Amino acid sequence: MSTRPALVILASAIGLAALVAAPAMLAEFHLFQLCLVAGTALVVLGLVVVTGFAGQLSLAQSAFVALGGYGSAILATAWGVPLWLGIPLVSIVVALLGYVLGLMTLRVAGHYLALATMAVTAIVQLALIHSDSITGGAAGMPVPPFEILGRQLQTGGELYWVIVPVTAALFLVVHNLNRSRIGRAFAAIRQSETAAEAMGLNVLRYKAAAFGASGFLGAVGGGLLAPLSSYLDPAAFGITQTVYFLAIAVVGGMMSPLGAVIGSAVFVLLPDFLQAFQSYLGLVFALLLLVFIVLRPTGLASLNPFRRGGEGT
Amino acid sequence: MLAQVVVSSITAGAVYALIALGFVLIHKGTGVVHFGYGDQVTFGAYMVLIGQSLLGLPFWPAVALALVGAVALGALVYGGFMRPLRNASLLAKIIATLAIGTVLREFLRAYMGPNAWPFPFLLSPTSVEFLGVRLVPANLAIVGVSLGILAILFVLFERTLAGRAIMAACDNRVGASLVGVRVSNVFLLIWVLASVLATVAGILVAPLLTLSPDMGLIGIKGFTAAILGGFNSLPGAVLGGILLGILEGLAGTYISTALKDMISYGILVAVVLVRPQGLLGVLSVRKV
Repeated sequence: MSTRPALVILASAIGLAALVAAPAMLAEFHLFQLCLVAGTALVVLGLVVVTGFAGQLSLAQSAFVALGGYGSAILATAWGVPLWLGIPLVSIVVALLGYVLGLMTLRVAGHYLALATMAVTAIVQLALIHSDSITGGAAGMPVPPFEILGRQLQTGGELYWVIVPVTAALFLVVHNLNRSRIGRAFAAIRQSETAAEAMGLNVLRYKAAAFGASGFLGAVGGGLLAPLSSYLDPAAFGITQTVYFLAIAVVGGMMSPLGAVIGSAVFVLLPDFLQAFQSYLGLVFALLLLVFIVLRPTGLASLNPFRRGGEGT
Repeated sequence: MLAQVVVSSITAGAVYALIALGFVLIHKGTGVVHFGYGDQVTFGAYMVLIGQSLLGLPFWPAVALALVGAVALGALVYGGFMRPLRNASLLAKIIATLAIGTVLREFLRAYMGPNAWPFPFLLSPTSVEFLGVRLVPANLAIVGVSLGILAILFVLFERTLAGRAIMAACDNRVGASLVGVRVSNVFLLIWVLASVLATVAGILVAPLLTLSPDMGLIGIKGFTAAILGGFNSLPGAVLGGILLGILEGLAGTYISTALKDMISYGILVAVVLVRPQGLLGVLSVRKV
């Protein structure tokens, strides 16, 4: 079905080889940047599933990221659960929360869904700020290092071997999800809920599952980004941040898992090229979002030369 | 004590009501919820500052200039973004309004700095004792202006031909254009009107709040007020705003200050889930 399978396989092989070779060839700073791209891409993949595939605008992604980061850090400091175990555990719990949030949105769509999920982000942020004894309140809390097999991973070069493979694996899952029965159900719901329901799909269950998946991906991303930055600041998990993730998804391409990676790369690496314009960065990101949503809502990924022909949007 | 809390929270409520009126105006008139409206309120107040500091104007001419700027901004938002997106999905429209708000906020952060600016009161901020309750003229003005704008909009929508044309354009675009309503002109008028309203609100509330680029986050309180009252009801917006102000004030005084902000988000979620049409709204049935 793919138009140029040989090219896709070749490009994937080169990409894989580059990812394996990168730690040997790049400096610590660049590896740190790559980890940041990968972790952000995980978070944005969640948005691709819920908003891109299933068509439900979610502004709760920041909340999921915060819960993933804080949850696993608190498990580690208070109960001594290592991060390699804590992050998956917390992510499963957050996925369940996302599922419940999805179930509650049975009655609402469009504007109301956006407003309700925005409120969830605000509530989670306020809860983090006001639970001083557990989360360190407005001052934030330090994150313990990522320990596995007796080794402490702290630098970008060390965490690379955790963050990049996890992102790659979940990327493949999301990529294949779109072509599965579930992916087709999401597409049907996106195009017309009424029609999907008439075809016998359990719309509510699928919508809730999409929210659950976005919660899981957001929490894994948040859990992995936390040891990378080694500090959690509640100010970084508000509505502004949720719009930032949305902007990455739109600029990269909301319908495409690859778009999540491209968008994250643009937003993480662009500041390096705009050193002289640091105070204008926020404005540049906002303008990018506005220009893309008006002129090219399918994002950068739609410029992908390997795109398969005949696939509907 | 209770009377004082209620009177003080009515001021906060009137601020929310003023912003909620803008939301309802845009939603009623064009079917779009403007997620960047709070930032447009902030931008309105900043336009006065820009007129004063960059052009050296005195306060009132700067206010006049800001109102002219508001007309231009409203026309730009409609002509530049909302009109090209008129046939786009709701998702794209919502993201575009979020983006417009973010652009305004980040523009202010880049050009005017991230820190707070002082902003003059239009009326005296010193309180007057009346029946044992302290009243502040500057705050009363906000309540008065909210009610005044409500009255004007109410008469416009319910009693004039232009208002009926607006309602017709909103209910059925094709039908309205068939009977001779220029739908694009109507939408332009709404966006300009809402932009002017945002600037008036910004000038009134800036001295009460802290005027920094992040003041626009007050927009969420405006949403809550609008949702509480019913997203399509102008009197509902004012009722919702004042009710929200009082609930916040009571929760902040008698329960805990931490709860003050939480309660409005809690109300937002609760109303969306339990009664999305709000207190005074009418539920519209979705047809296939």
